[in-house]
Amino acid sequence: MMSNHTPILRTLLLGATIIAGTAGVSALAQVPPADQPPGNGNATVSPGTPTPPQDAFSPPSPNAPQAPGVNAANIPDGPPAEPSEATPMVEQVTANPAHDDWPGYGRDDRATRYSPLDQITPSNVGHLKRAFIYHTGSKPAPGQVNKWAAETTPIKVGDGLYMCSAMNDMMRIDPATGKEVWHFHANEKYDSIPYTAACKAVVYYTSSTVPEGEHCHHRILEATLDERLIEVDSEDGKVCEGFGWHGMVNLMKGMGESVPGFVAETAPPPIVNGAIITNQEVLDGQRRWAPSGVIRGYDAETGRFLWAWDVNRPHEHGEPKEGEHYSRGTPNSWAAMIGDNALGLVYVPTGNSAADYYSAMRSPEENKVSSAVVAIDVKTGEPRWVFQTVHKDVWDYDIGSQPTLMDFTKPDGSSVPALIMPTKRGQTFVLDRRTGEPVLPVEERPAPSPGMVPGDTRAPTQPWSVGMPRLGFAPLKEADMWGMSPIDQLYCRLKYRRAHYVGEFTPPSIDKPWLEYPGYNGGSDWGSVAYDEKTGILIANWNNTPMYDQLVSRKKADKLGLMPVDDPNYKPGGGGAEGAGAMAETPYGIVVSPFWDEYTGMMCNRPPYGMITAIDMHTQKVLWQHPLGSARANGPFGLPTHLPLTIGTPNNGGPVITAGGLIFVAATTDNMIHAFDIHTGREVWNDVLPGGGQATPMTYEYKGKQYVAIMAGGHHFMMTPVTDDLVVYALDNVN
Amino acid sequence: MSAFMKPHSAAGWATLLLAVIIILLGLPLVYMGAELAFLGGSLYYVVCGLVVTVAGVLMAMGRPAGGLLYLGACAFTWLWAFWEVGLDGWGLLPRVFGPTLLAIGVALCLPVLRRAEQARTTHVREVA
Repeated sequence: MMSNHTPILRTLLLGATIIAGTAGVSALAQVPPADQPPGNGNATVSPGTPTPPQDAFSPPSPNAPQAPGVNAANIPDGPPAEPSEATPMVEQVTANPAHDDWPGYGRDDRATRYSPLDQITPSNVGHLKRAFIYHTGSKPAPGQVNKWAAETTPIKVGDGLYMCSAMNDMMRIDPATGKEVWHFHANEKYDSIPYTAACKAVVYYTSSTVPEGEHCHHRILEATLDERLIEVDSEDGKVCEGFGWHGMVNLMKGMGESVPGFVAETAPPPIVNGAIITNQEVLDGQRRWAPSGVIRGYDAETGRFLWAWDVNRPHEHGEPKEGEHYSRGTPNSWAAMIGDNALGLVYVPTGNSAADYYSAMRSPEENKVSSAVVAIDVKTGEPRWVFQTVHKDVWDYDIGSQPTLMDFTKPDGSSVPALIMPTKRGQTFVLDRRTGEPVLPVEERPAPSPGMVPGDTRAPTQPWSVGMPRLGFAPLKEADMWGMSPIDQLYCRLKYRRAHYVGEFTPPSIDKPWLEYPGYNGGSDWGSVAYDEKTGILIANWNNTPMYDQLVSRKKADKLGLMPVDDPNYKPGGGGAEGAGAMAETPYGIVVSPFWDEYTGMMCNRPPYGMITAIDMHTQKVLWQHPLGSARANGPFGLPTHLPLTIGTPNNGGPVITAGGLIFVAATTDNMIHAFDIHTGREVWNDVLPGGGQATPMTYEYKGKQYVAIMAGGHHFMMTPVTDDLVVYALDNVN
Repeated sequence: MSAFMKPHSAAGWATLLLAVIIILLGLPLVYMGAELAFLGGSLYYVVCGLVVTVAGVLMAMGRPAGGLLYLGACAFTWLWAFWEVGLDGWGLLPRVFGPTLLAIGVALCLPVLRRAEQARTTHVREVA
C-alpha cells in the first residue's frame, strides 16, 4: 500500500480495522495491518462513522445492504439453502450432437465449434445467398448511449433455432424461414446494461424429473444482464414454474451493495452433472471493493442454490448469512466456462481482482487464482486445480476465451484429456484436465520487476507456453510506428518514445504512460478457437492492438471526473470498463486508450491489427497464417476507404469449422463474414453484413439444407454499426 | 519581403503555394523530430525536416536549388525507408507516399523556378 491514501480511503480503512479477524490478508507483506480490506464477506460491523466526502467519490460502504431495485427484476431471493449436490442429470443434447444440430454455444460439450456438415464446400460456397434475416428487436432507442454488442450465437436443436437478444429476450425461430415461433420478453431495463448489452447464447436443457411430453421437459436457460437465471419451455417459451421463483433465480442474492449494471451475466452458463454454474462480469476499473466475483452452482431442475466458490472465503461454500455478502473485489470471471461431466469439473477462466491496474491491495488467495483457469468440483464448489496465465495481473489480461476440450496424443501414443486455453496474451496453454499440469511445455520467464509503483511489486517471472505457436508478434520497435504521412508517423514515434516500454509485461507507471502490448483486446478474446478433432487443426483469429495506459493520482483522477458506477454523480461514459477508470479506494485512477493517433483515429502500430492462424495440434506447427479483415470500412478520421485491401482489422468473435473444409468467421471491423478454405487459408467467399459481425457464427442443417447464421449486432467499442439482424445464409442452388 | 518570388501566373502561384505547404510540413518535422531525437529516437525526422524547410524557403524565393534540394531529400527518404522497413508495402506507405506525391509537384514546378531565377538574374543585372 501507498503512503498517500486519499482521506476517504483512510477513513474507510480505519473502519475496516475495527473488524476483527479479517482472514488472510496480513500475510501480504507490503500491506501493513491497518490497510486490511473491509471484510472478506463476513463483515457485519459498520465501518466507522461516515465523514463528509473529501473526494469525488464518497463510497457506499461495501457492507451496506443492497438497495431495493438493484435486483432490477425485483424477484425475491431464493430460499436459504445449505451446500448440496445437484439433482442427477440425464444426458444432454450437447454430449453427442445430432448431425444437423448446433445445440450449444460452442456446439458440443467440448466447445469445438466444429460441425460435421459438408453441403457447403470451397467449390460451391460462392453460391451462398441470404435465406432470411431475423430481427431480435433489441437495439439502442433514440437518445440512448449505444452500449450494444449482441455477440450472440444461436443454437439449433431439432426443429428450433433458439437465441437471445442483446437485452435477454429469448426466442425460438423456424430454422428454414426465420419466422418467430415464440418470444419471451425479459423486460430488462437500460440501467442494467453493464459495459455492453450482450447475450452470447442460451442453453438447451433436458429435464431429468419432468417426463417427456410435459411442460418444461426440454428447457431453454439463460443468464441475464440483470442477474437472473431464467428457464422457459422450449416448445412454448413460457417460464418453468418448477424452477426458482416462477422460472427465475435472483443472482444478486448475497452480492451486497451494488447498482444495476455493476454486475451482469453475458455468457451461457454451463450445466455440469445437473449443476448450472454461474460466473459474472463485474465492471472493470470502478472500485477496489466492487461486488464479488463469486462462482456459484444452482440446481438445473429447481434453481436451488448448491454451492459457492468465493475466493476470500475459500472453504466456505454456503451462502452468506443474513446481512453478509460474498467477498468483495475478488477476481471476476466473465468468459464462457466449459464443463466436464466425466471428471465432474467446471473450468472457469478467471479475470482479475477489482481495480485491475493496481495489485497491492489483493489478498494472497486472489493472487493465486486471478487470470487463471480454475477447475472446480461441481459437487462441492471446491477448486481441484488452478493454472495461472498471468501472475499478479495489472494489464487487464483477464481471460475472455472459452476453453476448448480435446484429447491430446502424446509422443508415446498415450492420450491425455486436455484443455486448450487461449489468452489475450496470445499464449495458448494446453493443460491436462485432470491435474491442470501443462501438456505442452510452459516456461516461467523473467519479467520486468519490481516495477515502478511504490509498494506494488510485479512478479519476477511470467508463464510462456513455448510449445504452442504464439498468436502475436515480436515486441514493438519505433520503426513499427505507422500513419498516413511522415508527420503522423512521427507523432506515433514520439508517443512510443514518450512512454515506458520494455516489452511484454511493462509495469504500470505514474510519471508517464506505458505501452501495453499485447493489448487487452487480445490475442484471443471472447471469440475463442475452433478445433477439428479429426484433422487436429485448430483455428484462431486474434488481435494485434497495443494499448496506451497511465496510472494517475487520485487528485488527477478526480479532476478527470473519473468515478465509479455506484457514485451518485456517475454519468454513463464517465469512466467505463474499457476506458479510463476511477479505481476508487486505491491510490490511483487509470487512463487507458488504444495506442493510436487520436487526431486521425488510426492505430499507431503498423498493420495487421487482426490475424487468423491455423495450427496443426499434432505437430504444434502453424499451417498458415494471414491478416484477417479488409480496409473497406475503416480509414483515417473514421472514414471508410472502400479499399478491398486485406489489411487485417481488429476482430471480436470466433471461427467455426465445417466438415465441408471451410472456416466461417465474421468478427472483423469491415462488417463482413468471411469463408476460408481450411487447407489453404484462401478466402473463398465473403459478404457485407448489415452491421458489424462481432459474434461467432454457427451452422446447421434443416430439411436437407445447410445454413450459416451470423448475428450482425455490431459492437459499440469496435465502432461497427449496431443492428438487431440475425443473417442466415444457404446455397441458392439447393432445394 | 523582396526575397520571395512574385508570381505572375497560375503556375507561379501554384509553385509558391507548394513551397508554403512544404515549409508548413517541414516545420513540425523539425519540432517533433527534435523531441524524438532528444528522446533517443530516429534522427531522420529532424534532419529531413530541416532540409525540407530550407528547400521550401528556397523555392518560395524562386530558387531552383530549393526544388532540387527537396527532390534530393525525397530520394534520400526512399533510401532511408528501404533501410528501415525493406520492401514492406505497409511500412513504405507512410514514409514515401506523401513525400513522393509532393516530389512530383516539385518536379513539375522546376521550370517555373528556373524562369523565376532567370527573371531575377536579368533584373539584378539591369539594376547593376
